[in-house]
Amino acid sequence: MEPASILRCGGNYAGGMTVTAAPTEPLVHIEGFKMNFGAQTVISNLSFDVHRGETFGFLGGNGSGKTTTIRALLGIYRPTAGILHIGGKVFNDDFGSRLGYLPEERGLYKKESVLDVMVYFGRLKGLSATAARDFSQEYLRRVDLSDKASVRLDTLSGGQQQKIQLGVTIMNDPELLILDEPTKGFDPVNRRLLMDIIEERKVAGATVIMVTHQMEEVERLCDRIILLKDGTAEAYGTIDQVQDLYGGRTVRLKFTGELPLSTQYTVSLREANYAELALADGADEAAVLRELVQAGVSVRGFSAAKRSLDDIFIQVYGEAGHQSTEAS
Amino acid sequence: MARHNLGTVVSFEFTRTVKKRRFWIATLAIPVMLAIVFALVFISNQSTSSSADAQKNDKLNFSYVDASGLVNAQIAAAMGGSPASSESAALTAVKDGKLQALFVYPGDPAIGKIKIYAADQGIFKNGTYDAVAKQLLTVSAQQQVGQPKLTAVLNGTVSTESTTYKNGVEAGGWGTVVPPLLVLVIFYLTVALLANQMISSTLEEKENRVTEMILTTLNPTTLVVGKIISLFMVGVVQMVVFAVPTVVGYALFREQLAFPDFDLSHLSPDPLTMLVSALILLGGFILFTGLLVSIGAVMPTVKEAGTMLGPVMILLFVPLYAVSLIISDPSAPIVRIFTFFPLTAPVTALLRNAFGSLDPVSAWVVIAELLILGALALRLAVHLFRYGSIEYSNKLSLKTVFARKENV
Repeated sequence: MEPASILRCGGNYAGGMTVTAAPTEPLVHIEGFKMNFGAQTVISNLSFDVHRGETFGFLGGNGSGKTTTIRALLGIYRPTAGILHIGGKVFNDDFGSRLGYLPEERGLYKKESVLDVMVYFGRLKGLSATAARDFSQEYLRRVDLSDKASVRLDTLSGGQQQKIQLGVTIMNDPELLILDEPTKGFDPVNRRLLMDIIEERKVAGATVIMVTHQMEEVERLCDRIILLKDGTAEAYGTIDQVQDLYGGRTVRLKFTGELPLSTQYTVSLREANYAELALADGADEAAVLRELVQAGVSVRGFSAAKRSLDDIFIQVYGEAGHQSTEAS
Repeated sequence: MARHNLGTVVSFEFTRTVKKRRFWIATLAIPVMLAIVFALVFISNQSTSSSADAQKNDKLNFSYVDASGLVNAQIAAAMGGSPASSESAALTAVKDGKLQALFVYPGDPAIGKIKIYAADQGIFKNGTYDAVAKQLLTVSAQQQVGQPKLTAVLNGTVSTESTTYKNGVEAGGWGTVVPPLLVLVIFYLTVALLANQMISSTLEEKENRVTEMILTTLNPTTLVVGKIISLFMVGVVQMVVFAVPTVVGYALFREQLAFPDFDLSHLSPDPLTMLVSALILLGGFILFTGLLVSIGAVMPTVKEAGTMLGPVMILLFVPLYAVSLIISDPSAPIVRIFTFFPLTAPVTALLRNAFGSLDPVSAWVVIAELLILGALALRLAVHLFRYGSIEYSNKLSLKTVFARKENV
C-alpha cells in the first residue's frame, strides 16, 4: 500500500502536518465535514481520504462521530457543511449496486424467509433473480445455513441473522465495503468468517472501511487509520505513522532482580519476571539495556517494539473510554 | 436502475403480503361471512316460500258476519268462509275449537275495525287471520268496482317513467348518478382497507432496523412509490375477493336471495362526470397515502402512529354524516367548506359530482388542489421517510429535518 498523509492535532489536515500526498485519486474524499444536531456539534471540520484498494480503519470511542460520518457519507444524514464524495460524487443510489454496507444498527425483514430477503436485496443491488438466488444458496452452504433458506429470519438465532446480513452486504461483489462495528455481537466463529471475508474482498481489490474499536483486527487488516475524538481527527495515517506519532517505543523485558528508577523509561507493565518499559522521548534502547545491566538486573530477554494501538487508544480516549468501548 | 428497482419493490411488497396466511384470513373473513348470510337468506326464503305455498293450499275454515254488505259470498266461499247464522254461536264454535275463525265486519270498514276471533296458532301464524280477513274485503270491493284499471289506481299500483332535461339534453337520472357513486365506494373501500397496512408498511423498515441497508441501496422515492403501488394492488385483490360472493349470488341466485333486479343497461355514465370523479379519486388517494407515509415516517411505532391516523380518517369521512345536506343544499356554507378543505374534499366533491351539484370551476379547483397537495404530501413523505426512518426508536423532530442542509 502506498504511503499516505498523516496528521495530528485539531483534525484539519489542510492546516496540520501533512507529510505526503496521496498518489492516486481517492475513492472516498471527505473535506471540511461539519455536522450539527440542533445546537450540538458532533463533527467539526473533518477531512480525510480513503484510497482505492486499501483497508481503512475508522477508529474512535463511543460518541466520537464515526457512525455519523459514515451515515453522512452515504446520504443518510445531510451534513451541515463540507464535501463528502465517493468516486468523485455525492453518494446516490446509483452507487448502491457497488456498495456493501453493514450498518451498526443490524436488521432485515424478519417476517420473511431467508432466501426471499437475500434475493430481494440482490435484485435491488442489480443482480438478476437467478444470480441473486445462486449466490444466496452458495453463501448459505458456506455458512452452514443451507437448511434455513426457506425459514423466517426471526426464527434464526442472533448469530445466524448476522451471517445472513453479512451475506447481503457482500452479495454484489462490492467495490466499496463499509463495515460499521462489524464484529459487534459476533461470536468467535462469525468473527472468523467476517475476517476471512474482509481478506477475500481485499484480495479481490475492494476498498474496505472498518469502523471499529477492535485494535487487534485493525493492526492485522488495516493499511491506514484515522482516530476520531470528539468529532475531530486525532491522528491519521498508516499504523506505523500513528504509532511513531505517539512516541510508540516499548521495551519488552524478561529478567530477574529489581528494576532501577530511571529517567529513560517508565514501567508500563510489571509481572513476576516480565515488564514493559515505555521509553522516554530521546531514550536509546542500548543505553537502557546498559543501565539495567549496570544496576545488577539479570536480563534474559530484551526486545524493542512500537506501542500497540490498544495503548495509543487508551492514551487518546482514557481508561474509562476504553473500558466503555470494550463493554459495548 | 430506478425503474428496475420499482418493479422489484412492488413485486416483493405485493408478494410478501399476499403470501401471508394472516392476509387471507382477514380478507376471506368478509366474503365467508357474506356467503353465510346469503346461505341463511337462501334457506330462509326457501322455507318461507314453502310455508307460503302450504298456506295458499291450506284453506282457512271461517265464518263471517258482514254489517257492511261489501263481502262477496262467492269469494268468501272460495276462501273457505261461510256467513255465520249467529255471531254468538259462531264465537262459541271458535272457543270450542270447532271453527278456526270468525270475522265480524263493521258497517263502515273505513271507520270501524274488523273484529277477528280465532283459534290461537302462535304469534306469527295468527297473522294469517288478519291477512285473510282483509283480503276477503279487498277482493270483494274490487269485484264491486268491476274495472281492473280503477282497481289498480285505487290500489296505488301505478308506475311512472320520468324524462328530465338538462341544458336541452335528456338527463340520465339515477343511471348517471350510480356510476360516479361507485367511484366514491372505491375510494371508501381503498382507504378503509389500506390505512393500517400503509402505516405498518412504512414503519416496517424502521421497526426492523433495515432502514440504512435500504436507503443505501434504493432511492426512498422508489421505495415509497413501490409500497403505495403494491398496497393499491393488494386493495384491488381484496375488493375482488369481497365482490365475488355478491356477483356470484346476483348472477346465479338472484331470486332465491331476494336481490333487487338491477337493470344495468339503464346505467349511463357521463364521460365528463366520470373523468372528474376519477381525478378526484386519484388526487384524494395520493393526498391520503402521502399523509399516511408522513405519519409512519415521523412516528416510531405502529401504535403511536395509530393515534394520528384516527383524526385523519375522521376528517376524510365526516362528510358522510352530512350526506343529506350535501345532496339537498350544496350551497350551504358547511358544504362549501367541506368541498374545499383538503381532507374532506374527496368525499364531498365525489358526492356532489355524482349528484350533479359540483360546478365545473369548483370541480377543477378541487382536482388541482388535491393533486398539488397530494404531490406535496408525497414529497414531504419521502423526505420524512429518508430522514425519519433513521430515528429508529425516537419521534422525528420536524425542526431538525428541515434544518439540515444539502451536501455539496
